[in-house]
Amino acid sequence: MSVTLDNALLESEEHRTLRSCVAALGRRYGREYFTAAVRAGRQTDELWREAAKLGYLGVNLPEQYGGGGGGMTELSIVLEELGATGCPLLLLVVSPAICGTVIARFGTEAQRAHWLPGLADGSVRMAFGITEPDAGSNSHRITTTARRDGDDWLLSGRKVFISGVDIADATLIVGRTEDARTGKLKPCLFIVPRETAGFEFRPIPMELAAPEKQFQLFLDDVRLPADALVGDEDAGLLQLFAGLNPERIMTAAFSLGMGRYALDTAVEYARTRQVWQAPIGAHQAIAHPLAQVRIELELAQLMMRKAAFLYDNGDDMGAGEAANMAKYAAAEAGAHAVDQAVHTLGGNGLTTEYGLASLLTASRVGRIAPVSREMILNFVSHHTLGLPKSY
Amino acid sequence: MSLRIVVAVKYVPDATGDRHFAEDLTTDRDAVDGLLSELDEYAVEQALQIAEEADDAEITVLTVGPEDAKDALRKALSMGADQAVHVEDDALHGTDALGTSLVLAKAIEHTGYDLVVCGMASTDGTMGVLPAMLAERLGVPQVTLLSEVKVEDGKVTGRRDGDAASEQLEAQLPAVVSVTDQSGEARYPSFKGIMAAKKKKVESLDLSDLGIEEDEVGLAGAWTKVDSAAERPARTAGTIVTDEGEGGKQLAAFLAEQKFI
Repeated sequence: MSVTLDNALLESEEHRTLRSCVAALGRRYGREYFTAAVRAGRQTDELWREAAKLGYLGVNLPEQYGGGGGGMTELSIVLEELGATGCPLLLLVVSPAICGTVIARFGTEAQRAHWLPGLADGSVRMAFGITEPDAGSNSHRITTTARRDGDDWLLSGRKVFISGVDIADATLIVGRTEDARTGKLKPCLFIVPRETAGFEFRPIPMELAAPEKQFQLFLDDVRLPADALVGDEDAGLLQLFAGLNPERIMTAAFSLGMGRYALDTAVEYARTRQVWQAPIGAHQAIAHPLAQVRIELELAQLMMRKAAFLYDNGDDMGAGEAANMAKYAAAEAGAHAVDQAVHTLGGNGLTTEYGLASLLTASRVGRIAPVSREMILNFVSHHTLGLPKSY
Repeated sequence: MSLRIVVAVKYVPDATGDRHFAEDLTTDRDAVDGLLSELDEYAVEQALQIAEEADDAEITVLTVGPEDAKDALRKALSMGADQAVHVEDDALHGTDALGTSLVLAKAIEHTGYDLVVCGMASTDGTMGVLPAMLAERLGVPQVTLLSEVKVEDGKVTGRRDGDAASEQLEAQLPAVVSVTDQSGEARYPSFKGIMAAKKKKVESLDLSDLGIEEDEVGLAGAWTKVDSAAERPARTAGTIVTDEGEGGKQLAAFLAEQKFI
C-alpha cells in the first residue's frame, strides 16, 4: 500500500496525477514529433493546442479568467514532464509564467480581461523582451525608453535573444520611463502587439535545435496607447521581479525535463546494449555516473519545488533566492545529464538517430539564460553570504 | 429524469510492468504499480460522451478491489465521472469472474442504474466475460463489444464490428453494454478535472453492506481455480545476419528454413 503524505516536500495526489497525465500526453507525441517539427521548421502547435485544451498551459492563472487557479508548482510540473518526454514547450516559460503572472498580479482589470483568457487557454501567446545588447539582463542599465506623447507612449530601443516573437501575438517589453519627481529612469512594462508600427524583429541564426526562434528587436518610436503600460508606472521594478522568479523556476523545469529525457535514454541504452557478456549498465563506470546524475536531478527538482512553493505562497523575497538556486542547480544537473548520456552511448550519442547530440547545445541554454550561472553566483555571494559586491 | 450510468472498472497491474503471480496463484499486486485498466478507459470515455449528449445524466464509476483501487476511481473521476463506489473487503481476495459479477451486480443495484458500461475485457485477466455475467445477474439485455454506442429515447443502440460483418444492435434500457478499444480514444484528465476529483464523493462498501456472504466470494468461493502457472520462457536471442557480401542469400536461407518463403 502506498503511503500518502501531503506536505511541501512530498507532492500531493493531484500533483502526482498531473505529472502522470502530462507525461502520458507528452509520450503520445514523443521526441520524434518534436525533432520532425524542428527539421521542417514548424512549431509544435498540435501539442500546444491539445495541452491548452486540457487546461495544462494555464494552470497557474486565476480561475476567473479561465486559468486553473494553481501556481508555479503546477506549471513547472507541466513543463518538466513535457520535457522529460522530449517535447518541451519553451513558450511556457514566458507566455503563462512571466507575462501571465505579471498581468494577473499587476495589470489593470481591463488588461486582465483582455489578455488572461487567451493566455490561459493557449489561444494567445506572449513573448517577453528584457535582454539588451549593451545591458544583458541588468534591468538598471536598460536603455529601451518610453516617453509620453499626449496620452500615448513612444517606445524606442533594442532587444536581443527574445524567444518566439514571430509566433507571439504580443511581446511584453521591459523599458524605462523618466520619473516625474526625481528625473531618474525606472523600469516599466509595456505590451507591444506584434504588428505595431515601428516594431521590427529579425531572427538570430542559432545552433539550437528548437522549434522556437530567437530574435533581435528594433523599436523605433513605437506608438502605444496609454493602456499598453502594465499596472503601475511607479511599481515597475517590483512587477518585473514578480515575473522573473517564475522565469527562473520554469527555466529549472526546462533543464530538469531535458536532463530526465537524456538520462532515460542513457539508462535504456545501458540496460540493453551488450558488449561481451553483460549489458554495459552492469559496469560501475557506466552505472555510477548515471546514478549520480539521477541524484543531482532529484535534488534540483526538490529545490525547484521549494522555490515554487514559496512563490505560490506569496513569499517573493524567499522565492527569489530559492528560484536562483533552483535554476543554477537544474541547469548544472541538466547539462551533466546530457553530457553523461552522450558519453554512455559513445558514438551513438552523437548520431542523429539517438537524438542526444543536439541536446549538448540546448542544455547550455539553462546555464546562460535568463541569467548566467556567474550572475547567480554573484547573487548568492552578495545576498546570501553577505560578501562585498564586485560590480 | 436523470440518466443513471454506472461504469464498472478494474484496477490492474500496469501491463508494461513485469507482472507475476503471487504464491497463491492470484495476481501479484504488490510488485507492479496498479492503474485503471486501459480497456476500461474506453468505457469511461463512452459514458462521458453519452452523458454529454443526454440532457441530464450522472456517471457513477464502480470498482471492486483493494485500497489502492481508489486510484482507478480517482482517474475516472478526474476524466469527468460524477461519483464513485468502491467495494473493498478482505474476504474478496482471490474472487473469480463469477464472484466479481455477483459483487458488481449487487453494488449496481445498490447505486441504481439505467445503463451499465464496461470495457471489453480487463488487461490482466482478459476474460471478457464479465459484461455478459452482469447482464444475466441483473436480468437486463446485454449489448456487448460495441465500437459505437448511443443512447436515445430510452434505448441504447450500437455497432458491433465482427470479422465478416458489422451488426447494428439495440436494447431497451436498463441494459449492460461493453465497448471495444475501437470506440474512440479516451480523453486525458484536464487540470480542472484532476483538481475536482478529490472533492467528488467516493462511497465505500463492504460485503455486509451488499448482503453477500463471505463464502460466496474469495478464493474459497471461486468456481474456477488456477492449478498452476508457469512464466513464459524468456524470448531467445534472434539471429543476426551480418552482411559481408552474402547477406541477402543468408536472409533468404533463414526465411526458407522458417518456411516463410
